[in-house]
Amino acid sequence: MSDSLFEKFEALPPDALFAIKARCDADARPQKVDLGIGAYRDNNGKPWVLPSVKMSELQYSQDPSHNHEYQPIAGNAVLGEDAAKILLGVDLYEKDKTVSTQTLSGTGALHVAAQLIYKGDPTREVYLSNPTWANHRNIFESSHLQLKTYPYWKEDTKTLDIDGWLKTIEAAKKGSVFVLHACAHNPTGMDPTPEEWEQVLDAMAKYHHIALFDSAYQGFASGDLDRDAKAIRLGHAKLSKQSPIIICQSFSKNLGLYGERIGCLHIVNPTSASKANIISQLSTLTRSEYSNPPAYGADIASRILSQHELRDQWYIDMKTMSSRIYKMRVELRNHLVALKTPGNWDHIEKQCGMFSFTGLTPEMVERLETKHAVYMAKNGRASVAGLNTSNVEYVAKSIDEVVHFFSS
Amino acid sequence: MTKMLSKKFPKPSTKCRFFASYMAKIPQAPPDRILGLVNQFMNDPNPSKVDLTVGVYRDNAGNVPTFKSVQNAQHLLHTVPSLRKDLSYLPIIGHPNYRNKVLNFLFHDGCPEIGPEIIYQDRVSFVQTLSGTGALSVTARFLSNFISDSIIIPQLSWANHANVFKNNGFRNISYYPYYSNEKIVLKDWLNHLINIQKTDREVTSNSKPSCILLHACCHNPTGLDPTKEQWDQILDTIYDLNLIPIIDMAYQGLESGDVLKDSYLLRKVLNKKRYKNWKNGIYLCQSFAKNMGLYGERVGSLSIILPETNSGNKSTSIRENIDSQLKQIIRSMYSSPPGYGARIVSLILSDKDLKDQWFLDVKEMVDRLNDVRYKLSQKLNWNSIIDLNQQHGMFYFTNLSPIQVERLKNQFAIYLTTDGRLSLSGINDLNVDYICNSILNVL
Ligand SMILES: Cc1ncc(COP(=O)(O)O)c(C=O)c1O
Ligand SMILES: Cc1ncc(COP(=O)(O)O)c(C=O)c1O
Repeated sequence: MSDSLFEKFEALPPDALFAIKARCDADARPQKVDLGIGAYRDNNGKPWVLPSVKMSELQYSQDPSHNHEYQPIAGNAVLGEDAAKILLGVDLYEKDKTVSTQTLSGTGALHVAAQLIYKGDPTREVYLSNPTWANHRNIFESSHLQLKTYPYWKEDTKTLDIDGWLKTIEAAKKGSVFVLHACAHNPTGMDPTPEEWEQVLDAMAKYHHIALFDSAYQGFASGDLDRDAKAIRLGHAKLSKQSPIIICQSFSKNLGLYGERIGCLHIVNPTSASKANIISQLSTLTRSEYSNPPAYGADIASRILSQHELRDQWYIDMKTMSSRIYKMRVELRNHLVALKTPGNWDHIEKQCGMFSFTGLTPEMVERLETKHAVYMAKNGRASVAGLNTSNVEYVAKSIDEVVHFFSS
Repeated sequence: MTKMLSKKFPKPSTKCRFFASYMAKIPQAPPDRILGLVNQFMNDPNPSKVDLTVGVYRDNAGNVPTFKSVQNAQHLLHTVPSLRKDLSYLPIIGHPNYRNKVLNFLFHDGCPEIGPEIIYQDRVSFVQTLSGTGALSVTARFLSNFISDSIIIPQLSWANHANVFKNNGFRNISYYPYYSNEKIVLKDWLNHLINIQKTDREVTSNSKPSCILLHACCHNPTGLDPTKEQWDQILDTIYDLNLIPIIDMAYQGLESGDVLKDSYLLRKVLNKKRYKNWKNGIYLCQSFAKNMGLYGERVGSLSIILPETNSGNKSTSIRENIDSQLKQIIRSMYSSPPGYGARIVSLILSDKDLKDQWFLDVKEMVDRLNDVRYKLSQKLNWNSIIDLNQQHGMFYFTNLSPIQVERLKNQFAIYLTTDGRLSLSGINDLNVDYICNSILNVL
């Protein structure tokens, strides 16, 4: 009977983004450009270790006190607290009203949040933006939650579908969970304006929904970590009196610690009665999946967050990354305009964060890959961080060729 | 009236229903057995206090040492720029060099007779995991998705085992007799397995296979392992009953001081002459927490060893399918594993000098633990503690009663877990007399 058990498995489609990276790595064409996965590259196309991270690593390597002992179940406590302050600001942060736990970066935070929601109420409906980061669905579905979507993006005008979004908030079952991209929406790169955030959060308050902020790109939208936390802080003002706020925070991108898997889950303003219970549930979950989170990256991050000198350097690093990306947006758009590529390309410059939702079709994306060795996600999302002064013109010309190819 | 009031002032409890309602239903989880003691210990003002609870190695000075091999590898990581210029995401299944080197270490070095053939046939689906715990949780999710959601674990076991399987999709968790009066209760153990398989078959004719959890060596908490001959009997029974072996190898090297020698259970399971084919695979959950002292870096692995195909051909396509399922599980839990610990391990396993140093480090650790055993046996007249044929690892099960354990804590500030488990590595030249005298006092 069981011989066949193993043979029964179907192969699942490979994770799209990791698969793009694998194909690109294997591509022998020297002109290849990887605009797939959201990882910052410097102007030489190389991964960039932030100067603040280098400083922190140097400290670590010279610190005789470090060892590799287990961390507590909730991870690095200094990190949890300082990370919450980065999101909420020192004024809003209240230690006794916040549960913070170190997680395996943003994904781990979302996963733990999903498990917790399911434990709380398995029938609770969770709303994702349409479109959204590909892994959101996988994370919440694997926790058996019922998923719905809210309209976010109007393809024809390449603008935010605020009306559709508000209507969905109104129609949703009271107490639904809305997953909100705190800034630099993935994949569209289009964020609500401050006025639109007001509308959205007011409506959420009115219908008693729960906000789950996914903060994976803080600092990449404006170059300023505080400004990029505005939506979360506004959400705090409008919602925290009536329901807890869930924040999933990643340091993958803004500290460039991708592979060290550092992030936090914060639950802000749980009722005082539930706080201890939430902590105990989180411990049980963590224990059952990995016992305690990884130490090294947490040590590196917490040094940066807790020491003035390192933190100031980090704020500068953030500017370095975001301004280079912005420059590449402008250059790509300008090249396309100069090439008279059919269509309007203003959105590339207007969008924010690491990505541009180019509007290229799946066929165009495929031709970009096969003919030009330019790799991006099938939905036309390009990681602008993969562009640099040596390849931006080549990419523009390649886009020009495929657009012409399919419009003739 | 009340209706009106509640309309105007909706009760806060309905607003916070999400957390409030279920929290009301679910009691606070019991505090972690060990961590509670750790807190008490930290707050204990007694200057002679000794912590003999946790499974972390301490040297003779009472410190948690960083192994020399690890120090050397870290030095390379921190000083050779080419090794540290990239903190990018690792692939979902782990650091490529780590995967290579650990597979090689486990199957070529560890199982030279059969391992190379298994690797050649492409029969191992392998992922870097969040240490041993992460390997167990991915195993549980994978098995419960597709093959089995029942497991039998030793009656005395690592406290987290049941928790891991329960929270990752298993419905049936039961226990087999393992230990009584300083002995492995082999007969009871095997009879238990035979009986429950019988009842399972009678109740549901087409029941799914069950899994069985085996401690590869250095059983936690008893420190008592079956003899090699007993293992043969145990595995024969497990194989006959079509149980799925999950091997938890968290203390490889801490039995004999030789990491390669200590993977004997894996070698036994893979012995083709004795066990032709494990139809539902073998699940090896391996950790570098204890044997490299990398506890907090969360580095380990899961190997799923697939059955041989009838033709003996390569199993690549099945292995790839299984890989794809593991990737999906991992992607939804944490996307990809952390890099730092994996880089250290792959450096150590890639370099002969570092590897030799690691072997020495493990030997040094075990020599010290055995020295502690020897001293305790002399001072306390405990004979079984030096029965190195079966007594292994960081722990010794004292058989002190809960009351005696309590007295050790209250009167002498010596902390053991309530079950009487004593962590040998907390004992050193400075405190050994104090500890022995205190134990004699409560006995
Ligand atoms: C919207 C969004 N959320 C969360 C994440 C999580 O990433 P990580 O797990 O590396 O923090 C990402 C990464 O691409 C993302 O785009
Ligand atoms: C029997 C056993 N299995 C697994 C583990 C898991 O340890 P880790 O996740 O740190 O590798 C431990 C740790 O104490 C253990 O004692």
